[in-house]
Amino acid sequence: MGNKKQKAPARSLVLQRRETMVSYLFLLPALFFFVGFVITPMAMGVITSFTDASFTNPEGTFVGLKNYTRLFQDKIFLKSAVNTVIIVVVSVPAVTAFSLWVGSAIYKMRSGIRSFYRCVFYLPVVTGSVAVTVVWKWMFDKYDGLLNYIVKALGGQPLPWTSSEQMALWCIILILFTTSIGQPIVLYVAALGNVDASLEEAAKVDGANDFQVFWKIKWPSIMPTTLYVAVITTINSFQCFALIQLLTSGGPNYSTSTVMYLLYDIAFKTTKEFGYADAMGVVLAIVIALFSALQFKVMNGGTTE
Amino acid sequence: MKKVLSTVLATALVATTLAGCGGSKPAETTAAPAASEAPAATEAPAGDASSDVTEIVWWAFPTFGVDTGYEQELVDAFNAAHSEYKVKVEYIDFTSGPDKLTAALTSGTAPDILFDAPGRIIEFGNAGYLVSLDDMLNELKPDLTSESLVETCVGADGTAYMYPISSSPFYMGLNKEALEKADALQYVNLEGDRTWTTENFVKMCEALRDAAPTQVPAIVYCGGQGGDQGTRALVNNLYSSSITDADGKWNIDANGVKALELLKSMYDSKALDAGFDMAAADELQKFQQETCAMTFCFGTSSEVTYASEDYTQIAVPFPSDDGVPSLEYLVNGFCVFDNKDEARAEGAKEFIKFICDDAEWGPKSVIKTNAFPVRKSFGNPYEGDEHMAMLASWSQYYGPYYNTKDGFAAMRPLWFNALQQVFNGTPAQDVADEFNTAANAG
Repeated sequence: MGNKKQKAPARSLVLQRRETMVSYLFLLPALFFFVGFVITPMAMGVITSFTDASFTNPEGTFVGLKNYTRLFQDKIFLKSAVNTVIIVVVSVPAVTAFSLWVGSAIYKMRSGIRSFYRCVFYLPVVTGSVAVTVVWKWMFDKYDGLLNYIVKALGGQPLPWTSSEQMALWCIILILFTTSIGQPIVLYVAALGNVDASLEEAAKVDGANDFQVFWKIKWPSIMPTTLYVAVITTINSFQCFALIQLLTSGGPNYSTSTVMYLLYDIAFKTTKEFGYADAMGVVLAIVIALFSALQFKVMNGGTTE
Repeated sequence: MKKVLSTVLATALVATTLAGCGGSKPAETTAAPAASEAPAATEAPAGDASSDVTEIVWWAFPTFGVDTGYEQELVDAFNAAHSEYKVKVEYIDFTSGPDKLTAALTSGTAPDILFDAPGRIIEFGNAGYLVSLDDMLNELKPDLTSESLVETCVGADGTAYMYPISSSPFYMGLNKEALEKADALQYVNLEGDRTWTTENFVKMCEALRDAAPTQVPAIVYCGGQGGDQGTRALVNNLYSSSITDADGKWNIDANGVKALELLKSMYDSKALDAGFDMAAADELQKFQQETCAMTFCFGTSSEVTYASEDYTQIAVPFPSDDGVPSLEYLVNGFCVFDNKDEARAEGAKEFIKFICDDAEWGPKSVIKTNAFPVRKSFGNPYEGDEHMAMLASWSQYYGPYYNTKDGFAAMRPLWFNALQQVFNGTPAQDVADEFNTAANAG
């Protein structure tokens, strides 16, 4: 009996080690892709950002921080950076608040109706950014677009939409908004549905009103979802690219150019300076990391402690 | 048992995933430049015991038209006549193709042949990605319809990188019925070679504005660099300016500023509109849909692509103050990428000679580009076609070719942004000064 008692932990350790090995084996394919398609390009990007690599000189020579100092003297980069920040600052709270509102409104509905709303809001997400942007482009058309047709029908003057420096960025934000709310709404519906009903009932028995129930019971319970939504929307907003490329190409007069778009423009379209474009990418990655860290900090890592 | 099963599952997962990674055959065919001492790309077709077949990859922009199947006809004919080569055609488009090319070149996965225009080809050549075609061009020179064509095919050091096949001018297109409704046809010269003046162009636009047969008379597109040669030709012709100065530097001169000011005043008076979010393709669509009554990016191909049964197209050269236009023009040609494999390069050269020079396929290919031959020996493939004869005669108005100059690619985004700034109210002189500084900064 005594021997059996001593051997049991040893066997368990061996088993544990083998299970760990098997787990790592299962992780290996994902790790392979992660290293090959995320870590390696990222490292290459950082290294290239310290060189003058370009289309004519793909290897490049080491130039230290020259690309980084140039960034802050580049008026177009600064304008693109401001546009990027505007997109993030406007779209993240708007997407989060709207998704929470829609989620709150539909999560208690009958399952058929709830599914209908989830489909409606999720449709732009699964449609694909190119198709969505092309449809929006038709709607924004200055001459024959649906929006100006409505404006004219209401007796107004046609608006320039994406042709206007003042309006174009807001058009981009509007499309980004419509394509960003689908996933957060689905997540909020699920998260709100998982809030412990007994807590709500107890709070109501104790005399809490609807606002107090929401603020003291539901909000803390869905905090991890809110953090996820905020971080993902922030990253997507920072990386907004396809719809700008398809809709405005960064114009008019760089009014819709973002860091992500400018990076592509520099690397593939205009001067083809890979080192300089990579420096933009590195700065963008750092800013995204800082924003995400800030969100974690402000939201206490998704907890209410 | 559980342990064995787990290990087998894990191994199977890894194996299938890795197998999935390596399954892309096409990448192999366009890929990895072989070492110079390595044998030629000899991937023989399945079932072929011979390993002496050199595989050549051709990336084709839709210069022969979209989905015409002509590229495959050429390939089949060449493959049948040259059993030592196997050409494979892959289609790219003008939207994503340039990015794919840049990525392929810098990652060493370039094709062997590209059919394109000098702007990109000479950029690739100057960057060291192309094989010299000096031997082929030297042989062709005596047969070229114009000596000036040589400068469109050579790089900064005089090396030939492009083997030309056809050429055609860029010009303006007008909607005849819209002009008639606005009584504006009187301002257009439909006689002879149809040259006309800036004064009449302005009057025509004003008449179109007043009668409004279309939503706007014209759209000066400035939302991207697609077809930007059209807007440059418009600006440069209005008061006979040039985009480069005597030293070859990029330059909007005093006459260019005057032209920009004229366009701005026409924009303010609604005699034309600015397409801030439009490139040439968008403007051509609006022309086809009769939203505007003219296009600034007409050519022999777009005449066909954007034809409409609802109205009659009129081709005219760009208007100028002295009535003598200076036209931009297109040259179609081929280049061969340097994949460090002589057999592939030789095969590629053989194939492009077949497309351009073969007695049967050469003239046929020229016609498929909707342009005019650059070889005197091909004569006039459009015999009896008065319209094509008139367009061919406009070669006398071809202006200096600047697409192969250093900094061309960097100048293009500055150009359309300069137009945007002018239409948004920045003084034309300030815009020109900024453009001249930025375009020559590299």
